[in-house]
Amino acid sequence: MRPLTIKRLLWTCGGLGLLLLASVVLALKLGAVPVSVTDLVLDLGRIAIGRADELPTEYRLIVFDLRLPRILLGILVGAALSVAGASFQALLRNPLADPYVLGVSSGAALGSILALIIAPGFALVTPLGALLGAIATIAGVYFLGRREGQLDSTTLLLGGIILASFFSAIILFLMTTLTGRDLRGMAYWLMGDLSTPVSAGMQWIFIVGLVAGIGAIYSTSADLNLLLTGEREATHLGVNVTRVKLVVYVSASLLTALAVSASGAIGYVGLLVPHAVRLIFGSDYRLLIPASALCGAIAIVLADTLARTVVSPTELPVGAMTAMAGAPLFIYLLRRGLR
Amino acid sequence: MKGFLETGTWKFRHAKFCGMTTVLFLILCDGAIARQTNAARAGIPPSRELTDEVGRKIQIPRNINRVVSLAPNLTEIVFALGDGNHLAGDTDFCDYPPEAAQKPHVGGPVNPNLEEIVALKPELVLATKSINRRETVNALGRIGLPVYVTEDPHSIEGMIASVKHLGSVLGAETSAATLTEDLRGRLADLDHRLAGVAQRRVLFVVWTEPLISVGRDTFIADALRRAGGRSVVETKAEWPHVSMEEIVRLQPEVLVFASAHAVDTQRDIDALRTRPGWRNLEAIQRGNVVVVSDAINRPAPRMVDAIERLAHALHPDAFTARAAPPEDSGTGFSLWGLVLADAKSHRLKPVPLTSADSNPIVEEACACDR
Repeated sequence: MRPLTIKRLLWTCGGLGLLLLASVVLALKLGAVPVSVTDLVLDLGRIAIGRADELPTEYRLIVFDLRLPRILLGILVGAALSVAGASFQALLRNPLADPYVLGVSSGAALGSILALIIAPGFALVTPLGALLGAIATIAGVYFLGRREGQLDSTTLLLGGIILASFFSAIILFLMTTLTGRDLRGMAYWLMGDLSTPVSAGMQWIFIVGLVAGIGAIYSTSADLNLLLTGEREATHLGVNVTRVKLVVYVSASLLTALAVSASGAIGYVGLLVPHAVRLIFGSDYRLLIPASALCGAIAIVLADTLARTVVSPTELPVGAMTAMAGAPLFIYLLRRGLR
Repeated sequence: MKGFLETGTWKFRHAKFCGMTTVLFLILCDGAIARQTNAARAGIPPSRELTDEVGRKIQIPRNINRVVSLAPNLTEIVFALGDGNHLAGDTDFCDYPPEAAQKPHVGGPVNPNLEEIVALKPELVLATKSINRRETVNALGRIGLPVYVTEDPHSIEGMIASVKHLGSVLGAETSAATLTEDLRGRLADLDHRLAGVAQRRVLFVVWTEPLISVGRDTFIADALRRAGGRSVVETKAEWPHVSMEEIVRLQPEVLVFASAHAVDTQRDIDALRTRPGWRNLEAIQRGNVVVVSDAINRPAPRMVDAIERLAHALHPDAFTARAAPPEDSGTGFSLWGLVLADAKSHRLKPVPLTSADSNPIVEEACACDR
């Protein structure tokens, strides 16, 4: 493993940042109304100096009121899911851990649906319900996966899969029985979908939550490196294992909850992105966390661009896109890594 | 030397002053022009406020020239009101009338492309409460596009009310009045003809595997009642998933299928004759199966055509004095009426429906139902 220097961290993140910028420009360019890149830069400049009125109304509505917020939401969701996946993989010392596989996404979805049924008028109800659902699920999975004081990776994953299908069944039951309520749109949302814009107030909650969550996980990244060798070993090396685990569990649940309440259960991003990053940049969590956040954002932005354009004018849910694109990519990376 | 410097400074100051004035002037002009155009934009097409069928307040221009419809039944209503030329776009599923399929599509009703909708520059977007998602309506509302949402019709009367409302929204009150009067007249004629006849006990098949039928509060259940039928499925759920056992116990007299492709449907129905459960139904064994146009699935004026045809199929005796309504081929409308599939020759031939009094098994089933 190459030693991590500040220079390497900055170069990697800078490069990935540029790649993210390029994918945002590509995403802004493609869609119902085609835009040239030069126009896009000029128009962004106009908006930056507060002269958005000069742009044609439809064009402004489409590119800057519909497409741009959707791309920004995709960045937040992608970063949140990837960092959550990377953290669960470290905590559970299981390379297959991911918010979707572990049932945390389903738990968050169930939490937000239940919260919506109990208190429909309250604005913060979806993310709060999702957070409670996510925390309860990861606690459940953790206890299911514990055997004689040690985490058993097979039991853990099975526990996650069982909880996920249990929650899906409850969600299906709720959606079938509560015909009077408008839960029908939920079926679409559950597949993972970015087409629904988030209200302005919520956007700030997402941004603050994301920065706080990723920041908290990043602050423990050196400890996570040690934790990968085993809990006992990490304790001997001076890591406060209980504190680190608590911080990372809560933060990763928060990130999953935010992603789910914004866009439903988008699968595979949390599993694949950290893997890809690990294969390319190594498994040092001090680099893995920021690189996963950036790569996750790139992945979702590109996947959503495909979802918007591939069967245009109809849209696919982005969750279908990530699953379709994710599996072959995973096989490729796995085989490359084995060689 | 000093003079040169002074003039230089003066020139510089002068240039700076001129430049600043020009910029200031431009900014002011720009602002003034912008305000003027905004005022003109707001002023020239006078807008009006109205409440849609689900109670949302919207602001729309008085003369609407560009409409996007997000549901097939709303597209049909717009065309039936003679306002099809104002339809700027519709969904992938809008296939009637044929002109509707030629319009620019914005995707499916559940997942339309919002960018595509905005690109069509609509002055009004039409949506339904149950086919479209609330999220779509809210998203369009947030970027300032007025969306008129129709309530789910639970009866034919509800559909007619929507026609009337949309007529006044689109400024087509006269054609809406003519249309609704015609529809009501035809329904009244049907009621008159069917007065006193025994209702047929019907199973309306929305989907075969799994078996999905209609609940009592749906417009299809009302359509069945208007056509002299009664659904054997009595439930509050709108599109209930019904157990085959229950249907075998209830033994409906007639099975009603809705389809745009009668030949394919007939093939499917033939296949049901050997399927467990289905083959135990008297109606399947006797071929008491009606395939009506899929117009019955869409709460739009064309539904009344389907009701008339279904009434003819269920109660041919009530219409003997009058010729059957003309077959409008080419619109995808088809009615096979009562057809019996001849298992040996695979040819279909119409047979009269076995009437309830000559069929003791059906009578028994009725008793069982009570």
